[in-house]
Amino acid sequence: MHISDGILSAPVLATGFVGTGILAAATLRKMDMEEVPKIAVITSVFFVASLIHVPVGPTSVHLILNGLVGVVLGMRAFPAILLGIVLQAILFGHGGVSVIGINTLMLGGGGLVAYGVWQQRHRFNMPKKEVIFGALAGATGTISSGIILALALVTTGEEFFATAGYALAMHIPIMITEAIVVGACAGFLKRVKPDVLAGERPQAAGE
Amino acid sequence: MPLDIDRYAHVSSPIQRWDPRFKIGALGLLILGIALVKTLPVSVLALALSIVLVVLSGLPFGFIGHGLSFVTIFLVPFFIIMPMTYPGEAAMHVLGLPFAWEGLRLATLIFLKAISIVLCSFVCFGTSRFDISMIALQHLKCPKVIVQMLLFTYRYTFVFLEEMRRMQTSMRARGFIPRTDGYTLRTYGNFVGTLLVRSFERTERVFKAMLSKGYQGEFHTLVTFSSDATDFIKSLATLILMVALLALDFGGYFHQAVKAWY
Repeated sequence: MHISDGILSAPVLATGFVGTGILAAATLRKMDMEEVPKIAVITSVFFVASLIHVPVGPTSVHLILNGLVGVVLGMRAFPAILLGIVLQAILFGHGGVSVIGINTLMLGGGGLVAYGVWQQRHRFNMPKKEVIFGALAGATGTISSGIILALALVTTGEEFFATAGYALAMHIPIMITEAIVVGACAGFLKRVKPDVLAGERPQAAGE
Repeated sequence: MPLDIDRYAHVSSPIQRWDPRFKIGALGLLILGIALVKTLPVSVLALALSIVLVVLSGLPFGFIGHGLSFVTIFLVPFFIIMPMTYPGEAAMHVLGLPFAWEGLRLATLIFLKAISIVLCSFVCFGTSRFDISMIALQHLKCPKVIVQMLLFTYRYTFVFLEEMRRMQTSMRARGFIPRTDGYTLRTYGNFVGTLLVRSFERTERVFKAMLSKGYQGEFHTLVTFSSDATDFIKSLATLILMVALLALDFGGYFHQAVKAWY
C-alpha cells in the first residue's frame, strides 16, 4: 500500500518528513558498520518479495511484509523500510518523491508496531509460538499502516473521509494474507536459521 | 519489469550533461513545489513543464510510459471515488449515485500533479548512472550510512530478483499452482523465508570478502563532479519556474477563473 503523490496536503507531507527524520535518527543509533549490508540485503529481499502476487478470488494482492521486516530487523526495520520506499519512489515512481516521508511513517511505523507485538512472545511458553506471534505481528503491522494511512487522508481534509474508509476496508483481506504468510515464514525461520529473527534470546532457544 | 532506472543514462542531452548534484537539488525542489500546487490551471502548467523536461532529457517515451502505467493504475479509482463521495450538495445524480464536480476537479488535480512529479523523477534519476546519482546525494549532505545502504540495496535487488525467478520456476516445475487458500499462503511464507536465508548467507560471504579487501564503510570512487556556469543557469531557471508556479498558485491569479469554472 502506497499513497501517491499529489493527494495529501502540505502539512501532512511535512509531518511525514519530520516524523520519518526523527524515527530514522532514533532507530539508526548505535549502528555498527557490519549492520549496513545486512539491512540492505533484507531491504532488497522485501523489495523483491513484495512483487509476489497472491490470488484473492478473481483479483490478486501483492505482499507488503512490513510486519516481517519488524520480525527480522527489530528497530532497524524503520530505516530498512525507508530505504525500500526511497528506491521504489526513484525506480518506478511507485508512491513518489514528495510522499517518501509519509509512506515511510506508514509502513515503517507498522513495522515497529509489529516488532513490539513479536517481542511479546517471550512472555508465553507454548508450542509454535513463533507462528502465532509471527501471524499477529504480520496482522498488526498491516493494520497499523492502514490506520496511519487513514489518519493521513482524514487530516488532509473531510473530502477524503470516504476514501479513508475504503482504504481501511481494503486492508482487512490484506491483513489476513499477511498474517498467514508472516506466521509461516517466522515458523520456518525459527526452524531453519533462528538467529535471523529479531530479539531471539539464547536462553529462549532451548525452550 | 524495468527496474534499472539508469538504462538510458548514456543518452546525451542538456539534462544528462547537468551536474547531478545541481540536477537532484533543483529537480527535488521543483517536485516539492509541484506537490504543493492547489489549482487546476497551475497543475496543467506543471505537467507541461515536466513534459518539456522529458523532451529535453531525450529519454525514450516507451521507457517513461511503462513507469507511468504504475501510477495510473493507482490513481484511476480516485476518479470514481472522489466525485461520488465529496461532502456537500451533489451537482447531479448519475445512475442514482451523487456526483460532485468539486470531487472530479480534485481527482483531476491529483492525477495531473502525480503524473508531473513522476515525470520529473524519471528525468532526475534516469539521466545519470545510479551510482553517480547516489554519490551526488552524498555531496548534498545525505547521511553516508543511508547512501551506502541505498547502493547495496540497489545492487542486491537485481541479484535477488534472479534468485526469486529461479525459485519460482522450480516451484512451478514441482506443480505448485497459487490459489486462494491457506496452503498457498503458507507456501509463500516458506518461500520468503528461504529467499531470506539464502540472501542472508550470500551477503555474509560477500561482506567477509569486502572486509578482507579493506572495506571501511565507504566506497571510494573515481567519479569527480565539476560544475560550470551552465549548471548554475539550469538550476536557477528550474527554481525560477518553480517559484513562478507557486506564485501563480498562491497569488490567486487563477482563483477567479476557478470560480468561473463552476
